[in-house]
Amino acid sequence: MTEPDKSSSSARPRKCQQCSATVEGTAVCDFCKTLNPAAAMMDFFSLLGLAERFDIDPEELRRKYLALSRHAHPDYHVNDNADVRNLHLQVSASLNEAYQTLRDPASRAAYLLERLGGKSSEADKSVPDGFLDTMMMMQEDVQDAVEASDAAELARLREVLQTQHDGLMRGVAELFAQHQQAVICQAVTAGLLEEIRQQLNAVSYVKKLIDLTR
Amino acid sequence: MDEIILGIDLGTTNSLAAVFGPGGPEIITDASGEALVPSVIAFSPEGSSQKITVGCDARDRAVENPLSTVYSVKRLVGKTVDDVRDDLAVLPYAIVAGPKNLACVNIDGKLYSPQELSTLILSEIRSRAELALGQEISRAVITVPAYFDDAQRQATRQAGQGAGLNVLRIVNEPTAAALAYGLDRKDDATIAVYDFGGGTFDISLLRVCDGVFQVLATNGDTRLGGDDLDREIINLVTSEIRQRFGQTLSFPPATRQALRSLAEALKIRLSTEDAAEIAIDLGGGKSFERTITRQQFESLIGPWVEHTIEHCTRALDDAGLGPADIDEVVMVGGSTRIPLVRQRVAEVFSREPYTAIDPDRVVAMGAAIQAGILAGASRETLLLDVTPLSLGIETLGGAMGKLIMRNSTIPCSAGETFTTSVDGQTSVDINVLQGERELAGDCRELGRFQLRNIPPMPAGAPRVQVKFTIDANGILNVSARELRSGREAAVQISPAYGLTKNEIDTMVKDSVVHAMADMTSHQLIDVRNEVARVLGAIDKALANAGDVLTGPQRDALDEAVTACQAKLETCQDPDELYAAMKAANDAAMPLTQAQMDAVLSKTLQGRAVEDLGPQISSE
Repeated sequence: MTEPDKSSSSARPRKCQQCSATVEGTAVCDFCKTLNPAAAMMDFFSLLGLAERFDIDPEELRRKYLALSRHAHPDYHVNDNADVRNLHLQVSASLNEAYQTLRDPASRAAYLLERLGGKSSEADKSVPDGFLDTMMMMQEDVQDAVEASDAAELARLREVLQTQHDGLMRGVAELFAQHQQAVICQAVTAGLLEEIRQQLNAVSYVKKLIDLTR
Repeated sequence: MDEIILGIDLGTTNSLAAVFGPGGPEIITDASGEALVPSVIAFSPEGSSQKITVGCDARDRAVENPLSTVYSVKRLVGKTVDDVRDDLAVLPYAIVAGPKNLACVNIDGKLYSPQELSTLILSEIRSRAELALGQEISRAVITVPAYFDDAQRQATRQAGQGAGLNVLRIVNEPTAAALAYGLDRKDDATIAVYDFGGGTFDISLLRVCDGVFQVLATNGDTRLGGDDLDREIINLVTSEIRQRFGQTLSFPPATRQALRSLAEALKIRLSTEDAAEIAIDLGGGKSFERTITRQQFESLIGPWVEHTIEHCTRALDDAGLGPADIDEVVMVGGSTRIPLVRQRVAEVFSREPYTAIDPDRVVAMGAAIQAGILAGASRETLLLDVTPLSLGIETLGGAMGKLIMRNSTIPCSAGETFTTSVDGQTSVDINVLQGERELAGDCRELGRFQLRNIPPMPAGAPRVQVKFTIDANGILNVSARELRSGREAAVQISPAYGLTKNEIDTMVKDSVVHAMADMTSHQLIDVRNEVARVLGAIDKALANAGDVLTGPQRDALDEAVTACQAKLETCQDPDELYAAMKAANDAAMPLTQAQMDAVLSKTLQGRAVEDLGPQISSE
């Protein structure tokens, strides 16, 4: 399903549909700078020219996003024909969604998980063992503090929840790394994907509680 | 040579234009070097039709012709009469409900939509620019408040089209200002643009890096501006006058107009002085005098300034930033000249705000830069803006199902699949909403989209994939496809707050009678109130200064007033009643003029009207 550690620089060369030059890269032809009409249909990692993995460099993501935006944005194409204008509108919208999805670790994890064959949050609502017990108590504390409008207590709870959230996300990163190793060793990965799903469900639960403390 | 694209700042108080020249943005001025065109429209009868004047001349006539001089139109754009209740008491001209209860202005019995009025301003801007540049102009970039919703953006674009302009882009005002400020900036910086204009407030947070202006978050209120600060002063003065001279004392349109000028002048004076005096001659030996200190003024406007600060906090939250992350704060809009505003902004962001470019001109300059980008003249700069409000659809049970979150970078799109609930059903209705509230009823309804031409199938079988795309103007486009048949489904849009092309055409063409016939009794009430005010004003003026009239003038006035009074009791037709009021008002003109001259010279204490230019509540 995935290729191990495919970095953007080692992506296979392909032909530009406009000038037929053999080019590196994906969404934009390096030679004639024309937008690839297939760009709007690409997955978010390919579109942004990134390897399909959880561990990405946020600065590299942002740099690539801004550079691609220069090619994709409709502003430089208002004088072109309707087809070209529409292509830039579609690719630009897709690029913005890709950046928004990959920038946030939790949404990046959810997107990658489904690309790796994991279940969606609708299909699998389970959480890690013991998680609900601790959360029930936290939820009661949060509700009490909200009812009492106790700002200091809310701030304290927010901090506790944030620590919990960060811990869960570290777990997600670790599981994705294990998954990558397992793919290389051709080991079984299904259990890992289920575990990631559970951790991510827990993350959204904690996030909702954090929102309540605001 | 490529045809010029005009950059236009269509403001609540003033409008102006700029073009992108070889040396950067150039503001367009008239022969006397004036750049600002007051966003004021005056109507005066000329033969059987109406003469329309826009700009300084119109503004200067406002006190004489309160009912036929229209300003602050931008506050009405894309709004219903219920939305603008607050303004009804203050604005001297008649706001009535037009089609779909939209706020329209009644001039001498003829209805004008805010959009048509904006067209008149834009036409003036266009012809001035054509005169200054010596060539025809047919393309433009127009700025709007960042917090404008879809209906307000559409109305602005259509207003441009009405003025013969192909509107290539609607740009957010704070973003335009950032473009004008960030010209030479190449390093990585985070900027806050605090834009407090005549009628609207916006805060936008941007990250600027290598010529790309990336908006991180925006927040604001499209009905919070200098006009609201003026209203605080007006309310204070009128309530004190009533306390002293009786609660039933009414303020005719001309007085309301004079009070507005007074409030504006006072606001400007208190921005540089510690106290200012007001003196109003109310006629009949009554006069009102009072000193207002800057401290009193600041406590009056304090709550409004705090509202702007709340919006700043929300924008920071949305961007995941704290005040310390902001490298620069840029001030835009005339209301940022008020010391309290600058002080509070400096406190919140812990730094002195930057005010190097004239706050009245910076937005037009940014519009010209964006015009240069679109014309291909400037490839260094790119703007990545956001949509200010979440977009969603009404789901079962009346909830708002969000599809695109606020502060998403535009262009952006979202898809949703719909199906049918009845066998053979060929159309599906979708209610599209904009806003942040949980319930559909609390959000702004953009319009009902009807998906048609769905092939007849058993209930639940069709899968209609609907794609909502917000383009770079922040305007929604909807397309739909039935997945099983692959057929394109037609999307019929009926905007809830905007007007369709047909409705606009009808409004423009319709005679008075037709436009008025559709209206509810609500308009009759509005016109009646107006008539009562006008008659009251004439009565008072007669008591004070009746002796200025010649015999025949006096007879004509008495006759007109009697006729109007009779109509007020019995007449059910707002047109007819309005015509009678108009006749009385016209007959009273010499009287009104004499009285206003006296009031003005008293209130302004010898200052010439020209000195009180629109220095403060402009955008």
